[in-house]
This record gives sequence, C-alpha cells and structure tokens, in this order.
Amino acid sequence: MKILKLGIIRGVIAQIVGTAAGVGLVTGLRALMGLPAWAAEPAAVGGALIGIICFLAGVGALTDWWKWALGEEVEDHHGPDPRGWERYFGVSVDHKVIGIQYGVTSVALLLVAGSFALTFRTELVASGIQFLSPALYNTLMGLHGIVMIAAILLGVGAMSNYLVPLMIGARDMAFPRLNAFAYWVNVPGAVLVVSTLFLGGFDTGWTGYPPLSARAPLAMQMFFLGVYVVGLSSILGSLNIIVTTLRMRAPGMNMFRMPIFVWASFATALIGLTATQLIGLSFQMVMIQRLFGMGFFDPEKGGNVILFQHLFWFYSHPAVYVFILPGLGIVSELLPVFARKPLFGYKWIAMSSLAIALVGFLVWAHHMFTAGMEEYLRVPFMYATLLVAVPTGVKFFSWVGTIWRGKLEFPTPMLFTLGAVVVFLFGGLTGPPNGTVATDLHLHDTYWVVGHFHNTMFGGFVYPFFASIYYWFPKITGRKLDERLGKIHFWLMTPAFWVMTFGMMWIGLLGMRRRIADYDPAQGFDGVHLVLTIAAFVLATSILVFVINLIFSVKGGEAAEGNVWRSRSPEWQIASPAPEHNYDRPFKVVGEPYDYGLPGSTYVDMNPAMAGD
Amino acid sequence: MSADTAHMTDYKFKLSNNRLGLWLFILSDSFVFGGLLVTRYYLLGGHRPELDQMLGLIVTSVLLVSSFFMNRAETAIAHGDRQNFIVSTAITMILGIGFLVGVIGFEWRTAPFGPSDGAAGSVFYMMTGMHAFHVLTGVLFLFVVLRNGLRGRYSAERHWAVEACANYWHFVDVVWIFFYPALYLLGTPAG
Amino acid sequence: MDKNKGAAYTQGLITLVVLAVLTGAEYGIAVALPSLWVALIVIALIKAAIVIQFFMHIARVFREEGGHS
Repeated sequence: MKILKLGIIRGVIAQIVGTAAGVGLVTGLRALMGLPAWAAEPAAVGGALIGIICFLAGVGALTDWWKWALGEEVEDHHGPDPRGWERYFGVSVDHKVIGIQYGVTSVALLLVAGSFALTFRTELVASGIQFLSPALYNTLMGLHGIVMIAAILLGVGAMSNYLVPLMIGARDMAFPRLNAFAYWVNVPGAVLVVSTLFLGGFDTGWTGYPPLSARAPLAMQMFFLGVYVVGLSSILGSLNIIVTTLRMRAPGMNMFRMPIFVWASFATALIGLTATQLIGLSFQMVMIQRLFGMGFFDPEKGGNVILFQHLFWFYSHPAVYVFILPGLGIVSELLPVFARKPLFGYKWIAMSSLAIALVGFLVWAHHMFTAGMEEYLRVPFMYATLLVAVPTGVKFFSWVGTIWRGKLEFPTPMLFTLGAVVVFLFGGLTGPPNGTVATDLHLHDTYWVVGHFHNTMFGGFVYPFFASIYYWFPKITGRKLDERLGKIHFWLMTPAFWVMTFGMMWIGLLGMRRRIADYDPAQGFDGVHLVLTIAAFVLATSILVFVINLIFSVKGGEAAEGNVWRSRSPEWQIASPAPEHNYDRPFKVVGEPYDYGLPGSTYVDMNPAMAGD
Repeated sequence: MSADTAHMTDYKFKLSNNRLGLWLFILSDSFVFGGLLVTRYYLLGGHRPELDQMLGLIVTSVLLVSSFFMNRAETAIAHGDRQNFIVSTAITMILGIGFLVGVIGFEWRTAPFGPSDGAAGSVFYMMTGMHAFHVLTGVLFLFVVLRNGLRGRYSAERHWAVEACANYWHFVDVVWIFFYPALYLLGTPAG
Repeated sequence: MDKNKGAAYTQGLITLVVLAVLTGAEYGIAVALPSLWVALIVIALIKAAIVIQFFMHIARVFREEGGHS
C-alpha cells in the first residue's frame, strides 16, 4: 500500500471518516439532549469541523505538537524529506517545499476558479438563459470569487514562503511546523468550499451578506467554514513571516538593506495577521446565527445587517492589499534586474508598502456607500480611500524612475513585470471614481467595478505572479521555462485581457449590472458580451500555454545553473535548486541591495572572513 | 538581528522568536475580541444584558485570582521552586474550571434570556461563549503543563511552555477585564 | 536575574491586591454612580495595562537576550 504513505491520501481518508464521525456525534448529542435527533445543518457543520481536524491529524500536521503535549522532545527538523515528488504530497517543514506546495495548489485553484468564470461567461454570451439555471449561475459566480481569493492567498503564501527565508539568509522560517500546518489547513478548507457545488450551492456571491446568507441553503455553512479555515492559514502564515523577517536576517542586513520584496511581504503580513480575524468573526457570527437562532443580523431580533458589512469589509478591503502588495514587491524586485539600474527610491518604496497596509485599515466603508450606512461616515472614508493613491503613486514614480534610461532587456519575466505596471496603472486610475461618494452611487454594483477590480487583480497579482514564476523557476527546478511559449503566453493574454476589462467597464458605465445571470436584450449588450466571452476564452488559452510550459519544462527545460538573470540577490549566488539548508555558511551583507550597474558595488559577501561574527 | 545572534544559544534564540510569535498571536486574537466588543456597542449601545451583577463579580474575582496563581507558578519555576510551581499551576487550573462552571453552569442557566431572544441574548452568549472557549483551551494547556511539570520537564532555564501558558492565561484575563464592564456594569439593563 | 525570588512573589501579590481594589471600585461605581461610565473604561484600561506589564512581562519581548528575570 505505497499510496497510503502519501500524507495527503491519509488526510483525505481521515477527513471523510472524520466527517462521518462528526455527523454521528452531533446527531447522538442531539438525541441525548432530547432534541429531534436529525438536523442536517448542525450535523453537517459538526461533521465538517471534525473532518478538518481529522484531515490535519491524518496528514501528520499535528503529530509533533501531540508528541510535545505528551512530554516528548521534538526537533524542528526531522532529517531529510523523501526524495522526488513524494515529498510534495506529505508534511514537510522545509520552507522551499512548502512554498512549492503553496504554488502548485495556487495554480490548480486558479484553473478551477477560471473554469467557473468561463462557464458563466459562456452563459452571458447572449441575453436570455442559455444553459445555466440562475441558482447554478449564482453559485459559480460566488465560487469564482472565493476560489480565486483562496488561490491568490495561496499564491502570496507561495511567494513569501519560498523567497523570504532565502532572501534574508535564514535557514528556514521561524516556526517551520506552524508553517506546514498553515499550508495543510488550506486543503480541507478548499475541499469544503468546492463541496458547496454538490450541496445545493449558495446564492450570495463571495461576500455572503446576511440576511440572504442567513437563509441560503446548507452549502452556505460549508462556504463559511471553508473560508474561515483558509483565513486561519493566512493568519498563521503572516505571523511566521513577521517573526522571520524581524528575527532571522543575515548579519549586516538591517531593515533598509532587505530585498524590497521582503518589505512587501512584511507589510502584507501585518494586514493578514490582524484584519483576517474579523472576516472570520463575521462569518462565524452568521454561522452561529443560523445554528442557534441568534439575532446579530436579524432586524426582528434587534440585529443589524450593516454590522456584518462593517466587520466583513474591515478585512475584505485590506485583503485586496494582501493580494497586490507582494505583487508590487515583485515588480520593484525585478525592474532593477532587467533595467540594470539601481531601484529608484528604495526607502520610499519600502515605506509606501507599509503606508498602503496601514491606510488600508481605514478605508473599508467605501464598499458601503449605498448600503444605508451611517451618513457621517461617508466623507471621512472617501478621503481615506483617496489617500491610498499617494503611496501607490510613489511606487509608480519609483518604477518609472528605475526604467528611465535603463538598459532594458525583455525576457518573459520582464514582459510580465512591465505588463503588471501598465495594467495596474489602469486598475489604479479606475479606482478613485469608485471611492468618491458622488460617482460611486452611480457605479456601485455595475460591471465598471468588475472591470476595475480585475484590472487591479491582474496588475497587482496575476502578472507579477507569472513574472515571479518565470523568474524563479530556474531557482526552483534548475531549468528554465521555455521562452517562446512564455512570450506566446504573454502576447495572447495581454490583448485578450484588455478587451475583456475595457469591455466590462464600458458596458458597466452604460448600466450593465454585476452578479446577474441575464440581461435585457433592449440594453444592446449582446454584441459586447459576445466579444467579452471570446476574449475570456483567448485568455484561458494563454493560461493553457503556460500550464503546458510548466509541465514540459520541469523535466525537459533548458538547464539553468547559477545566476541566470545576473541578480545581486543572495538566493541567486548559490546552486539551483537551492540546497536543503539554503546557505552552507551565513553570508554577510556589505552593501546596498539594488546598486545594479554601479561599478565595484557588492551587496552580499558570500564567504565572510570569519563565521564567528 | 545583530552580530551577537551567532553567540546565542539555540534555545535562547528560539525563546525570543517564540515570545514574539506568541505576542503576535495575542495581537491577532485580540482583534476577534475587539470585534465582539464593537458588536456589543453597535447593537446594544447604552444598554446591557439583564444579568446578576453579583455572579459577575464572583466569576471575575475567580479569574483574577487564577491569574495571580498563574503568575506565581511561572515565578516559581523561573527560580527553580518546583513544589510551588506544581501547586500553583494546579490551583490555577481548578480556578479556571471554577470560572467555566460559574459562567456556563450558572450564568447561562440563570440568565433570563436564551441565545435566540433578541440582540442582548445573542451578544451575551457569543461573547461569553467565545471567551469560555479560550478559557477551556487555556485549561487544557494548563493540564498539559501540569502533567509535563510533574514529570520534571521544566527547569529554571528551560520552561518556555510554562511562560507561554501563563501569557495565554493572562491574555484571557485581559479580555475579561474588558468584557466584564461591557456585559455587567456599563449602561442600563435592557428590559 | 535582576530580582530575587521573594521580591518576585511579593510583586505578584501587590499586583493582585491592586487589581482587586480596582475591580471593587468598578463594581462600586457601577452600582452607585451608573452615569460615570467613562471611569469604568478608564479603570478597565488601567487594569489591562497592569496585567500586561506585571503578569505578562511585555518588556521581555523587546529584550535581545533570552535571559529570565
């Protein structure tokens, strides 16, 4: 039974058994308490909860802590992981393995969520109902949103887990076991979220607003629980990143000599650590309202639905900065490499990441201008929102300053980096109209917002994520991704994306509502929707090219030993793929990180004279 | 961080990491309780749930005294006084269980409303429930520490688990410091 | 080791007494002067600060060395 050696298989079996046991337990308890024994919803929630714990126990993410509780001595590292592909399917505490686990899961979920979008995009190809029932349309639309969010959070986890310890010269994260736990807890969470498709779906979209979500079918509970678990992963991952960044840096690397991506990752983690708790709380409150009849969001019982929106958006707006900040960090990281010039205004970029993260805590209510929120909150939140444009502008200024008169090279990672800058620029420019009260009252809930949002997500996450994969793939595997396929990927994706996003904004301005399965043919949107759908399929084709490239290059790509991009960053000064212990001996930082093209400047001394200092 | 990190023993380096990690966890967790306090003031404003103020004072005192013994246990082990450490940890755990009995066993039964009776009930059961869940995990943590302590796992130099348990326990107490006036003292009873 | 054992125990006891007095004051204010809700919030903040400083020893987290008091 070799297959049972794989942690993930054991985990999934344990989750199934645990879910069944949980259903039995809840039913039994109800019988003992004299309630009607069978109630689908409590049983399902209890089952799902115990299923998650059983998955984690089955996969082996809890083993060390259990041993610790029993009073045994446990080491952080247990010696080498199994060689080959098997190590990616079981618990490993190596941050590089975990980073790849995050990355592969992220790409897989991106494909799933993208296919949901293609499905309902096809439904919208013409007015009238084609092949999806409105209920299924709603479920797919909500799932597209939430699975994408999970995929992006995992992608952020992939980048920060793989890169941060390497970049700061640490052997591993500060808490390797917690890191493994934070990855594995996502898997049962994703299972629960996707299970909503088979449990009757949910019709609230990814935001899960009550009162609708308090009445939606059973699947709503699985949605809440799944998202809660993914959020837990985000919290624990953030905690790890903060401690690692603050405590594990190489000698000589003060905060302003860290690679800029580490700053972005750190700022992101500050949001992830704190704000995430409130989406968890808001979802938990709806869950409990449904289970025990509490009245938080039920006006008949003295509740208030606006409260949910406050708690929800307190995370869910900063969440978009969680999505984009690491991506913008990647842009700042790669531009100097391919422009062969120093990064313009390092400290300003570092501080702008922090500023975006902190101002991000004060803007949530701009999602609620039309919700019937307290009137006096509108203007302060409008100004706070517009304030975010300032640090973001600093970033653009720095990027332009970095490119200015540089010796630009255009391999695939650079194409995606420049793509990110341009796309995100449009994402940024289309934002303020949503943030000012007067225009938002018109734009709210239209396709304009959908277009704006996809611009920011593509510019802030998708493009930089692809850039980072093309850039660090040689580091991870020792092989390069195919350049030709990479360029096809880029040149298919970019025009298709522009058509899609501008088309969305255009019909949005003309009154196309978002989140609806059908539209009035009299509005005259049929043609535009046809074009949008075609563009979506072209975009999907480009992603397919990317996946094919990934699969073939892992084994058959051009071998790439050493510093393929002539980077100054420490991770490129060692062998590819990086050895298990990262660095044989601690390196020493002796200069500025981004002094590309300055003669005689060095950033890291890989062989400092004495290991003793 | 500085050049002397290389000189530090592995344990002390990890201890500092662990301390920072636990404080960040506490910061993160306090956002949950902050959210609950916001909920309480948003929905109830100047009213408070109709509760027995005497019972509230009793459970608050129990938790406060437990925090004292928790601190005593940590001080004891830090100075190598194992006897006192074991006794104080056990007392902390018993007081923690006493608090749970007070809130779940008495308060939840005697409150004049159920969880589904209006906003005051919802807020009260959610806040005390969330807090009681943390007390429960703290009691389990104390149990693990007590069991391992009895087997001589901790010394004056190495007792991170005791310190972590103590800090977690005190954090639960800090949460109650804010929950107690919010639930029992502030405002007028909601009829 | 900046403090001996006895002093550490005494500090714990003093902290307990102060917290107990403040809790009593809270209760008294709530019963006698319900309109003085600001005082309750101030007392709660003071109590929390005392616990964080003297029971949770927040200063330890900022100390470079892993030594114990």
